[in-house]
Amino acid sequence: MKLTFKLKSFFRKPQNIILFVVCVVLGYLTLFPLYSMLRDTLTAHVSEARRLGVKAGSMTWDHWKRILFDKNSRTVFYRPLVNSLVTSTAACVISIVFGGIFAWFITRTDLKWKKTLSSLFIFPYIMPSWTLALAWLNLFKNSLVGGSDGLFTAITGVATPNWFAYGAFPISVVTGLHYAPFAYIMIGGILRNADSNLEEAADLLGTTRWRRLWKITIPMIAPAIFSTFLLVFSSAMSSFAVPSFLGLPVRYQVLTMQLYRTLDGVSPGQGYAIALLMILISVGVLAFNQRITNSRRNFTTVTGKSGGVSLVCLKRSRGVLSAVFLGLILLVSVFPLFTFALESLIIHPGDYRPSNFTLDFWISRDNTARLTTGEPGLLLNPALWAALWNSVKLSVTCALAAGTLGFLAGYAIVRGRGTRLAKAVDSLAFFPYLMPAMAFSAIYLSMFSVRHLFLPSLYGTFFILALIGTVKYMPFASRSGINSMMQLSGQIEEAGEIIGIGWWRRMTRLVVPIQKSSFVSGYLLPFISCMRELSLFVLLCTPQNRVLTTLLYYYNEKGWSQYSNGLNLLIVIIVIVVNWTVNKTTGASIDKGIGG
Amino acid sequence: MKRTMIVLIVLLAVAGLAFAGGKKESASKAGSTVSHEELVSAAKAEGELNIYTFTSRGSKVGELFENKYGIKTNVTQLGDSAMITRVTAEAKADVAGADLVFAQDSGRVLTELFDTGYLTEYITDELSAVVPDQFESPLVYDLNIKAFIFNSEQPVNVTNVWQLTEPAWKNRIQLKNPQSESVGMNFFVMLTKPEWAEKLERAYKSLYGRDLVLTTPNAGYEFIKALMANAVLGKSDTTICEAVGTKGQAQQLAGLFTINKLRTAHDKNLALEIGYDMVPFSGFMYPIYTGITKNSKHPNAARLFTEFAFTEEGWKPMDTLGDNSPILGSSEDTHSLDYWQKNLVIEDPVWIAAHRYEVEEFVNALI
Repeated sequence: MKLTFKLKSFFRKPQNIILFVVCVVLGYLTLFPLYSMLRDTLTAHVSEARRLGVKAGSMTWDHWKRILFDKNSRTVFYRPLVNSLVTSTAACVISIVFGGIFAWFITRTDLKWKKTLSSLFIFPYIMPSWTLALAWLNLFKNSLVGGSDGLFTAITGVATPNWFAYGAFPISVVTGLHYAPFAYIMIGGILRNADSNLEEAADLLGTTRWRRLWKITIPMIAPAIFSTFLLVFSSAMSSFAVPSFLGLPVRYQVLTMQLYRTLDGVSPGQGYAIALLMILISVGVLAFNQRITNSRRNFTTVTGKSGGVSLVCLKRSRGVLSAVFLGLILLVSVFPLFTFALESLIIHPGDYRPSNFTLDFWISRDNTARLTTGEPGLLLNPALWAALWNSVKLSVTCALAAGTLGFLAGYAIVRGRGTRLAKAVDSLAFFPYLMPAMAFSAIYLSMFSVRHLFLPSLYGTFFILALIGTVKYMPFASRSGINSMMQLSGQIEEAGEIIGIGWWRRMTRLVVPIQKSSFVSGYLLPFISCMRELSLFVLLCTPQNRVLTTLLYYYNEKGWSQYSNGLNLLIVIIVIVVNWTVNKTTGASIDKGIGG
Repeated sequence: MKRTMIVLIVLLAVAGLAFAGGKKESASKAGSTVSHEELVSAAKAEGELNIYTFTSRGSKVGELFENKYGIKTNVTQLGDSAMITRVTAEAKADVAGADLVFAQDSGRVLTELFDTGYLTEYITDELSAVVPDQFESPLVYDLNIKAFIFNSEQPVNVTNVWQLTEPAWKNRIQLKNPQSESVGMNFFVMLTKPEWAEKLERAYKSLYGRDLVLTTPNAGYEFIKALMANAVLGKSDTTICEAVGTKGQAQQLAGLFTINKLRTAHDKNLALEIGYDMVPFSGFMYPIYTGITKNSKHPNAARLFTEFAFTEEGWKPMDTLGDNSPILGSSEDTHSLDYWQKNLVIEDPVWIAAHRYEVEEFVNALI
């Protein structure tokens, strides 16, 4: 009797129902793969059985031993681990400093061209990260890799040193720039919404500017900084393309290179062990992050009370600073797009004479004359249109599912804060983000190509792509949900509850409208991430559901630079158009932000 | 320990050969029981065919086939590992997927797809009569060539592969990262096979007049170590080809990449020349195997396609420099398949399957 009463009262709270459902579903979709992965680290796979002298499928400790306690462990694990930690941390610092400073200038000063700068700033995130690495190489490569010099050397005559052109430095910078929009979105979101009363109060009491920054502004945005650190760190840890483009010439190895080599080769068991250790490291960062956010319970910045942000007047430096930001952002955001467009128009790379330009790679029916093997121009290419339709369908589906689930999860986590269930869901909802995409999709492939519990075989279906995309990108939405709900004072909802408004109406009339822009933003980030995701889908796509990035990767592998550059440009344009349309119709946009 | 390993490997090799041989017989029997007309009508009745292949040109062959027989043909290009993963997943789950597969990475394809029964080769008596014996089991569809290719603005003075390991060639020889391409790794694995290690040892002596001093198990490992010390690793054959062939560079560069790239060298304004007749090899050659899947839902269409792929008509889209049909060779190549077989390291799937791991670990430590 007592138990039923307890259960009843437990499930009377809507947040508890949400927490319970999300916990069960996510547990199945994330913990089970994790368990499979663990089992795979202890199994002799077909390609390993022969050398281990055991039957395929039998148990072995060999993978762990090889990774951790072997004479080759240094090259397989420890050295790449150190390199991964160094570049990921550096990338975090770069993105937080660059994105954070930019966020402060946009939200708190009278900088010029704010709207333009703000929209341009997120471009690097829209582009697949490796295209930025390619842009870096085109700019700064030197004679070590042979061929023609990079643009910088061609113009200045100065040869770039190897440490600048390849290895840890460019990997950190490119990754940092790619994820700087995260920092901007997160930190900007808080700065935008938090009223500046506290800061003004400090001003009135005669605090110095630095003291105000250290004692008020930074503590206020601290949760956003930690969130950014967590997001960027685990993304950077599991990024493969950037380090492999920029690290290879100087043989700078990171963990993902070993992960791909082993998983893609003849020692998948070791691959899964590496993946598991990578997850473990990220979980460590996550735990640290949660300890901090949990110990500080109150970040409420949207109180429903009066508020307003008064802008810092930059005075004389306004013009100069605006110009500096514009220049920087044009270089990082627009210049690569310009090079993509340019490269898609020239016949022989490196030759910029007018006679070398053509529109054939966009609009010809059959390109047999132009070096490639009869691939039609991009705009007349049926493969492209099919892939485009699939990409859009997939990204919209994932965005809707991940966005809605994530927002609800975020709501429930904040409302149920302090309970064990909320904590569990909080970790679960974020967990997929820590899974390296390649290992995650390999597990999904083996799990869902056969009948699994209540799910039929999903192999080759659109559903499995949508499922993995939703699970993988839900963390964006749940983070966004958590951040915006933390800012929203519970009193607002309580006021509604007191006068007897039901949960559904409270949500649709109060919570969602107030946090509308962050609500919609929770959909945008999964959408964009899906549009430019490659490694998650490459194993699971069949010819019927090929997506744009697999096509892009294919062109890139083929070395058809005109097609890959053109397609890259198209992807960026599509995402920009979608973002712009959503912005015009709902007022939300990703640069307005998670939690904003 | 070492001796037991060797015994084990020999036993496995023998077992593998016997196993593969036994399968071949049954496959060819199955093929010869029906007439071509019966096969065509059975294939047409199935109406559809799904192919996984290693090359984009596969879709051209697919179009030709579709136009000729009116059978809807879907061709998917996949990377080596994705191919093996997917074919395995489909066969295990017995779901509709690929019917016919064209795959490279001989060691893995042999042990993980053919030995497991997920793929079976289909050889008719007619095919068996024309395909050289060593390419019958598993059935080889295509032989790809990667060779040492030099910038041709300066005369090519390298006649022995050991020259590329000299200090003068530091950072001047480009290789595709062997970690990201199985056939490149397989080439290294082959060099450690006693047959090739001995050839390398002799080549060293003939060049320098003294014996090679070993710091590794054999001359093959020694060569890999020395070559890797001089090499710059690249992402793709295309970028390596462009880096090597760009005109006006101060130093002569060389690369190990597919000779197919020479087709477009002139159009791209690149100066490239193959290092023919190098001692003891000018590069390597790897097979693309073909087989029908265990879970095939359109086995007759797959059989018909296999027959078609080996005809002159079906081979045409593939017939370019660097791709050799085991029957028809390559019409664009000035050198015959016979010449290449004598001058290139050819993959031995059984050796590779047995030794890939240890060589990969060795190479990994050099990167």
